[in-house]
Amino acid sequence: MIDLSNLNPKGEDLASLSADNTALEIKNLNLYYGDKQALYNVSMKIPKGKVTAFIGPSGCGKSTLLRCINRMNDLVDLCKVDGNIELQGINIYDKSVDVASLRRRIGMVFQRPNPFPKSIYENVVYGLRLQGINDRRTLDEACESSLRGAALWNEVKDRLHDNAFGLSGGQQQRLVIARAIAIGPEVLLLDEPTSALDPISTLTIEELITELKQKFTVVIVTHNMQQAARVSDQTAFMYMGKLIEYSDTNTLFTTPKQKQTEDYITGRYG
Amino acid sequence: MGKWFKSGTPWIWMTGGAVSLSLIAVLGLFILIGWRGLSFFWPATVYEFSMQVEDGHQSTLIGEIYDTEHVLKEQLISAGIKGLENKPDSLDRFLIKIGNREYVDLDFQWILETSIKSTTVADNIVVFERTKNGNFYGYIDGIKVNGQALDIKPNGLVRELSERLERALALRSKEDDLLSGEIGRINYELERIRLQERKLQLDGKLTDKKQLELKGQSEQLQNEYLALETELFDYREQAKRDSVVVKDMTGRLVTMPLSYILDFYQPNNMTLTQKIGHWFHQVYKFVSSDPREANTEGGVFPAIFGTVFMVMLMAVIVTPFGVIAAIYLHEYAAKNSITKFIRIAVINLAGVPSIVYGVFGLGFFVYILGGSIDQLFYPEALPAPTFGSPGVLWSALTLAILTLPVVIVSTEEGLSRIPSTLREGSLALGATKSETLWRIVIPMASPAIMTGLILAVARAAGEVAPLMLVGVVKMAPTLPLDGNFPYLHLDRKFMHLGFHIYDVGFQSPNVEAARPLVYATSFLLVTVIIGLNLAAISIRNNLREKYRSLEH
Repeated sequence: MIDLSNLNPKGEDLASLSADNTALEIKNLNLYYGDKQALYNVSMKIPKGKVTAFIGPSGCGKSTLLRCINRMNDLVDLCKVDGNIELQGINIYDKSVDVASLRRRIGMVFQRPNPFPKSIYENVVYGLRLQGINDRRTLDEACESSLRGAALWNEVKDRLHDNAFGLSGGQQQRLVIARAIAIGPEVLLLDEPTSALDPISTLTIEELITELKQKFTVVIVTHNMQQAARVSDQTAFMYMGKLIEYSDTNTLFTTPKQKQTEDYITGRYG
Repeated sequence: MGKWFKSGTPWIWMTGGAVSLSLIAVLGLFILIGWRGLSFFWPATVYEFSMQVEDGHQSTLIGEIYDTEHVLKEQLISAGIKGLENKPDSLDRFLIKIGNREYVDLDFQWILETSIKSTTVADNIVVFERTKNGNFYGYIDGIKVNGQALDIKPNGLVRELSERLERALALRSKEDDLLSGEIGRINYELERIRLQERKLQLDGKLTDKKQLELKGQSEQLQNEYLALETELFDYREQAKRDSVVVKDMTGRLVTMPLSYILDFYQPNNMTLTQKIGHWFHQVYKFVSSDPREANTEGGVFPAIFGTVFMVMLMAVIVTPFGVIAAIYLHEYAAKNSITKFIRIAVINLAGVPSIVYGVFGLGFFVYILGGSIDQLFYPEALPAPTFGSPGVLWSALTLAILTLPVVIVSTEEGLSRIPSTLREGSLALGATKSETLWRIVIPMASPAIMTGLILAVARAAGEVAPLMLVGVVKMAPTLPLDGNFPYLHLDRKFMHLGFHIYDVGFQSPNVEAARPLVYATSFLLVTVIIGLNLAAISIRNNLREKYRSLEH
């Protein structure tokens, strides 16, 4: 309980977060897959420069919500979104928003490492090449700094031009993170980034996440409560497509306000 | 027994048996055509048979044993052959290739073993390969220079002859080079000048000055031509100098100018190494030289070239079209019943008989498309068609349509095998859908595209029926690729191994002589297709290695 002031020094209430400190604001978001509703009226503010975790049992809609934030759900046929998600005051679901440039501002890392069948170097600079940057020096620098940022540089600096598939699972996941941060996003979405990894790689990634929040706003989906408790500043608990409780991590895990949250974190279901 | 049945062992034997049967069928086919085709180039022993015909008349035959068969005595007796009463029930009958086509009624003769009095294998029998009338078998009797017999000892004749033949062959190749090189070029240029003049005339721009200029050019070419013609006649005259006197099986002396002789050898006098060397030489001549004598002699080079060239042209056309169509169907088209219907229609296109494509190619490509191209771009050549008649381009296009479904289907399969996580990974980095396609999806689908191409090439290279309507000919005077601008002549007709097999086997005036060529050409066609496929497969394996991620 003493730590609470440390984690949330200003003691801000998440609902009354100032616009400057808000990275994303989700307003009354409803999502339907065809006739089936998957998200019910979700509203929340995600603070800047912090790690926010979404937890909840399988199928509760936490990944769906995450994928709404960079409009990955657009790829799903029959998926209909209604409500707003505002990135610096602009609704990302507005017709004038260019999805590709939105995704450059909101990076994403997936459950399974998905490096491209290219060299490590080309994987990292992929996003930059897409933007038409082909200057060798710029790319080299970006590659090194991103790999350092993803704590991978020392392991791969001698084999940058080897195929990325030669890396281990944990290294591949860090490579994917390096690839995401190379284009300098504002928000980084992590969708269960350690679920396919061994404990040691998981630990490395968790340490990395703590590093990352100094530069980026991180939103992480996890079904591992310990992980959420370890890495996040705020935690949102979701159940059956609804946002049940959202507060800073310590409060949520120590003094949950809702019965459902308490049942979940004490392991009564999920 | 029941237990054995339940154990699944019979099932394994059955499936294994099916595989072995298929393998045996394929290998058997390959071995049959390979053996029949390739043994043709082996220098067969030439026998001299002393024959005793029933009326006591004697004769001699010199030739190779081409075929042997067993015949029943009754059959022969009922066919009217006498004097077989105390012979065994079954007799051998030989087909002898006696050559010397212009001096005998039949250059292939069946003889019965009973009519052979004695058989000898003389070392000094010589086989001559000639430009006309096939092989000649006989003994060298002497060499004539300008009609005067040369005074050489009998054992020096072969050496002297090969030296003089070398000279004759050198003159021949000079003559050929001149004909297909310089003289060919001048004829081509003259035709171009004529067309240029006609074009200017049609456009109403033919001024006197221009006409004079063209006339000057054409006269200059004519003069060049005359000079070359003198040179050509000179070579021909020189080549007539030597001739060889050969004694044939009837004892008649035949004088043959060396300019008609391509090669000579003494098969009975060869060691095994020499025979092997000779075999390789003959195979090389078969694949590298032009056909002669209505395709029953000589090589098949233009047909190999035509086949490979047309197939490659087809591959160049079908790949982009097929891939683009597959990308649209798989990536962009809405997933509804219309797309499904289109997909089924595309797959069913593969089942349309190929001759139907030929008819379409003739009607649409040659007459409509080619006809319009002629009207628009080559009016000066009309009424002689340029693209408005069957040609290699139309053949390639027709086969491209024929193989399009194969490429579309396998490309689509390849596209659907790419994990969606990779597409998402690319999209999440701010790539648009088309960028993702270009940078990730298509490179990763390239092995599948190559598979489609391999299947397409295999199908196209073996296809003959549609080509007979849209561009294949029995004998093409020029290749679609030569040294005259614009080097690539897509309007020309071409030769094809598949059609060559049909032509040699079924349209040839000399069935017996053509038979081994049918096998040899079939074997070559299979080899060419396998070669094309191996090339494509090695490219595919390279690509697979590069994009290995699909394996897990």
